[in-house]
Amino acid sequence: MLAALAWRNLWRRPQRTVLSLISIALVTGLLVFMLSFQEGVYGAMKEATLRIFDGYAQLQPPGWADDPTLERAIDRPAALVRQAERLRGVGAAAPRVNAFAILAHGERSYGAAVVGVDPDRERRVSSIASTIRTGRYLAAGDSDAAILGETLARNLDLAVGGEVTVLGSARDGSVAVDVLHVVGLYRSGVPDLDRTILEMPLARAQDTFGMQGAANTIAVGGPSLAAVDGAVPALRTLGRQAGVSLRDWAALEPALREAIELKYAVAMLFYATLVVVVAFIILNTLLMSVLERTREFGMLLALGMRPGQIGAMVWIELLGLALLGCLVGLVVGGGVTLWLEARGIVYPIDPRLLAQFGLPTRLYPALTPLSALFGPVALLMAITVGGIAPYLRVTGLTPALAMRAP
Amino acid sequence: MSVIIRCRGVEKIYRQGAVEVPALRGVDVDIVAGDFATLSGPSGSGKTTLLSLMGGLDRPSAGEITVDGQALGDLDNNRLADLRLRKIGFVFQTYSLIPVLSSAENVEFILRLLGTPPGEREARAREVLAQVGLAGLEARRPSRLSGGQQQRVAVARALATRPAIVLADEPTANLDSRTAEDLIALMADLNTASGMTFLIATHDARVIAHSRRRIEMIDGRITADEGHGAPVAA
Repeated sequence: MLAALAWRNLWRRPQRTVLSLISIALVTGLLVFMLSFQEGVYGAMKEATLRIFDGYAQLQPPGWADDPTLERAIDRPAALVRQAERLRGVGAAAPRVNAFAILAHGERSYGAAVVGVDPDRERRVSSIASTIRTGRYLAAGDSDAAILGETLARNLDLAVGGEVTVLGSARDGSVAVDVLHVVGLYRSGVPDLDRTILEMPLARAQDTFGMQGAANTIAVGGPSLAAVDGAVPALRTLGRQAGVSLRDWAALEPALREAIELKYAVAMLFYATLVVVVAFIILNTLLMSVLERTREFGMLLALGMRPGQIGAMVWIELLGLALLGCLVGLVVGGGVTLWLEARGIVYPIDPRLLAQFGLPTRLYPALTPLSALFGPVALLMAITVGGIAPYLRVTGLTPALAMRAP
Repeated sequence: MSVIIRCRGVEKIYRQGAVEVPALRGVDVDIVAGDFATLSGPSGSGKTTLLSLMGGLDRPSAGEITVDGQALGDLDNNRLADLRLRKIGFVFQTYSLIPVLSSAENVEFILRLLGTPPGEREARAREVLAQVGLAGLEARRPSRLSGGQQQRVAVARALATRPAIVLADEPTANLDSRTAEDLIALMADLNTASGMTFLIATHDARVIAHSRRRIEMIDGRITADEGHGAPVAA
């Protein structure tokens, strides 16, 4: 009964109701789109950053994150790789030897990270292969081949076809020395990588650094970060059984995670302000309507309606308005977002600047449960809580005084 | 005769800032079953205030009011609302119908509050609307009814719950003479036919002329009580 009456009351002043609905729907739609756009951009940033080298997750020996030395190794990586690749959401698992060495060419020498990789698997985990600018990437049959970043090559005065000497410590502490032939130079766009990483075939690296078939890490790739994220619990269980740890994307790139969290926090502050402002506008409108209807409420009290019932009726009017507005906003905002998710948005900004963040020129919003529901839920909550004011006003009325209201 | 409403030493003081305005100064009166009584007096005499206190729409500053044996001072706001719903029917001067509901729905509304089953509710609404001469207008909203018709719907609604008493506050004030006459005749007929008790606050001489008991008020006091009931000894 209260709901039916509240619904009819809403349409007593259709213009006012429609305007309120439009306000709620606009803000809801805007929030849905803006959050989806953020989700899409941050998703692209995460994908781009992790795809270059880290992979979407990594299996690592215990303590590797704090002390990445050759002694910390996965002794039989092949079995673990096979088991990981069988998990739903995992596209590839690439074992790596991660060593530090002095690279020398001619008179020049530089410290660098030397990474032994399985070329076929590595291609499915990291995008380094696709950033080769000169020469080629490593291939399955390679033995003494190496690729390195353009900056590192320039520092060493190296070119494709040149020889680079690797001098470091092996797993057992002995001296590790090797001479590799440069087959390709890459430019990932990430200065740190281009300046510090040399990749060589996994088997050769295991030999050179005395790993005896062991690997230091297994990088996990897949069709998408979301797919691998979905496989994280299973990967964690697998790692626990094998005595290794799993580090998800947030653990691999804590700075990126913190940057995204900070951006979300700032955006949420803005969204919260928007929600509060709109909630106040709607509540003000309802409060005006309540003031206008004071005599009517007095009459309803006189007829025998309990004060709480009238308060509930007003609250239902408010909730009905908010629900309808949010629903319209969700449908329109969600629809526009889905359309743009399919088409993409060309951001009016220098593509080189976007490239620095690993972002493409065309950005795609991503409608997720969070981006779809945050706005409507926040607005509904704000309006529901704010509805206490008209509720209290109505329940505090004395029938005789209310009926004499101007 | 059973007493429906009993007032003893009822006072009401309104406060306007620091100023106290006494509206009722010790009213003693009984309204008994079957009364068709009017409460008359000049503006500011306290008619509407007394009617409001009798109907539990406000609380007295002093004194006691009982309705059907129930002391209103003992009831919280919810129980007071329940008492109004079950025991008292109201007819007001204006603003008495819910504008978004049809005539029948206005009558049914109060029955819904009572928890009357739907079939019974609809039948009762049709019955009382027919009783006040509005058969065929059940689906009309108040905005499409004349002033007199609206007041008839209000009377029908007041009767719907078969209350112990109907309190009417200047029910004819906004009606033309013909319509006012009709409404008075209707209420008088209902009193005669069904024994429904009416107490009407009014200064309309036509209403007073129809009443069998006339209570007069001046300056918050009852100055005369003639007719069916007798003044209560102070």
